[in-house]
Amino acid sequence: MPECTNPLWPCAMTGAAACLAGFEGMSVVIHGSSGCYYYPATLLHAPLHGTFILEHEVIFGSEERLLEVVSGLSGKGKKIAVITTCVPALLGEDIRSMLENYDVILVDSPGFAGDVETGYRKALAALPVQVNPDTPGVNIDGVSLFDPYSSGNVQEVRRLLTAASIPVATVFCQDRFSRISASAACTVGTNRDFASGVGECCGETLGLAAVRATFCRLGNLFPGADISPVLAEADLQEERIIRVCDKYLQRYDPPSVVIAAGFSYARFAAETLEQYLDADIRGICSRNPPEETRYPAEHVTGMGQVRELIASRDPDLVIGSSFERSVSPGRVFTGMTPPLRGEVRIAPRPLAGINGTLSFVEQVLNALLDTRPD
Amino acid sequence: MTTHVRDTVSVIHGPKGCSHHNISLLHATGLENDRISIPELVSTGLAETDIIFGGEESLRRTLESAACRNVRAIYVLSTCIIDTIGDDVGGICAGDFRVPVIPIPTAGFLGGTFQDGVNNALIAIAATAPESGKTYGVNIIGERNLEYEVEENYREIHRILTLLGLEINTRFVHTTSVDQISLLGAGRLNILREPGLAPVGEYLRQRFGTPYIASFPLGLSGTLSFIDSVARACGVDGRRVAEEERSLQDEILDGFSDLRDAPVVFDQTPTDPESVRAAEEAAGMLRLKIGNFQDSTPLPAAPSVGTYGVKRMLHRWRRAIHA
Repeated sequence: MPECTNPLWPCAMTGAAACLAGFEGMSVVIHGSSGCYYYPATLLHAPLHGTFILEHEVIFGSEERLLEVVSGLSGKGKKIAVITTCVPALLGEDIRSMLENYDVILVDSPGFAGDVETGYRKALAALPVQVNPDTPGVNIDGVSLFDPYSSGNVQEVRRLLTAASIPVATVFCQDRFSRISASAACTVGTNRDFASGVGECCGETLGLAAVRATFCRLGNLFPGADISPVLAEADLQEERIIRVCDKYLQRYDPPSVVIAAGFSYARFAAETLEQYLDADIRGICSRNPPEETRYPAEHVTGMGQVRELIASRDPDLVIGSSFERSVSPGRVFTGMTPPLRGEVRIAPRPLAGINGTLSFVEQVLNALLDTRPD
Repeated sequence: MTTHVRDTVSVIHGPKGCSHHNISLLHATGLENDRISIPELVSTGLAETDIIFGGEESLRRTLESAACRNVRAIYVLSTCIIDTIGDDVGGICAGDFRVPVIPIPTAGFLGGTFQDGVNNALIAIAATAPESGKTYGVNIIGERNLEYEVEENYREIHRILTLLGLEINTRFVHTTSVDQISLLGAGRLNILREPGLAPVGEYLRQRFGTPYIASFPLGLSGTLSFIDSVARACGVDGRRVAEEERSLQDEILDGFSDLRDAPVVFDQTPTDPESVRAAEEAAGMLRLKIGNFQDSTPLPAAPSVGTYGVKRMLHRWRRAIHA
């Protein structure tokens, strides 16, 4: 892998922590240095434990230290998960054997194994997930503590499912740990970048078209469901979106846009802005490898690439993280991607569901209007 | 530290994630201090194969690429995994890259604590400064660049030095240029941000013969002692300045007399003993009732640099007591 100026995306270890720390009833241990512990602890705002290994453990082995931490956590009614970081992974110790006397989930997800999505998937694969066909309702997935929209997404998709009289089963990954052993057979997604692969995927919830398609499918699968309130609300809210976007276009040209985000969110943003604002999507700087798309999309890993791409595509509007904001002086900016530093965000805001699209369009229009000349 | 030296680039030799951790943190703290621009941190981007076969070639390639930028120096910071696999970082950095390449022994947790990393970086950067004659200026050493109130603390030291008729020679290092670093040896006194920087103070004393004061002042009496120490070290008469400062402190305390007799207890979790001492001193002067009473208000014993640092802390106390 070539060198990279100011890498934009966290490592696999952080991704594993973002998955596991979303479960109540789980104690997550970062087996590594204080530095490896500190970053996910501050980013995810979740309780994590660390082994804080030092040179001594590298030379003489980390077993004693790891067992000290794990034994201190065991017997407290919580499932323990251990995530290995780069150095323990490299030392080649048999960590599974070390922990054989404890009921521990071991996730080998060192930072050099890849990016945040890789770690998230590795952690999910290590979980004892069981699908129970008798569990009513659907699972929600794509939820990660790393994602600033995850809480809002869960609230919104729960709201829609409740409106359609469909129970919510397990939320991957923001639920009680015990619920993963009785997951439902169907799952709806909020962010494909963090898809769980649990059960049958019944569709996505990013964008109104996806919401309609998914709820139509659920309506067929669940005889007791009544999806009409959801479809009616989608129609009503779409009219409102069309009205405000049309009003904008009465006065202004469609914006040209560069979007920097995980591919799933970036595609949602591109489709939404193209559909309602006739926006010119000049580029997607995808944080992860992009799927096939009609938009010009590249896997962008460092700030240098982002800076060059924004300069060369010369968009009116940049959507991304505060990294992108820092290299977009004089352009309209709105945030969608972590990190979103320098602004206060405490309310759970969705991107998924009907309210997610409303919120996104509102955010973009306000950003565009705020910076237009009087 | 190294990202605060302008016109240079810092290379982190390790996986991308380690650099992302750092840049994300620097970005966050920079924005909180109204710095919009993001420093350049270049990762050698080691992946699994580099870990297996060694990362020296990746480092060499990254240094060649970094040297093509218009920079005055390249700092190379190693990560945990690099010391574990045994890359010869010093050997690679000794190559000819047309700009100075300065390896800094960090190596993540193998390099010691956070403070060790700060000290190692400052000493490595200081080693690039030439010897020079003394000026009337004072150096500020090792400001906590990640600290939310780093600028306010600097301004407080600047205020006190100005009252004493002294100037700042260089901030080592806080948004400092390579040219300003070359002035490091000209300072007549070094004021360290905190006692943990003593190895840096000692290094500079031996290298340039510059005496040092071990810490920014904490608390009210600490500020008066600081004025006395700086005045003595620089050979100026600080008595009038100390008297004026004492009057200022009395005036500030009068402004918080409404807090008198309030039952309070200090939240001592994240603070150091000196901060707690400074907080207790201020509480005593305000005649607060300190103790675990039923109605005690928990107060932050935040590190309060100088007289105005204490004043800001008292405003936070008032907010907590009146909440």
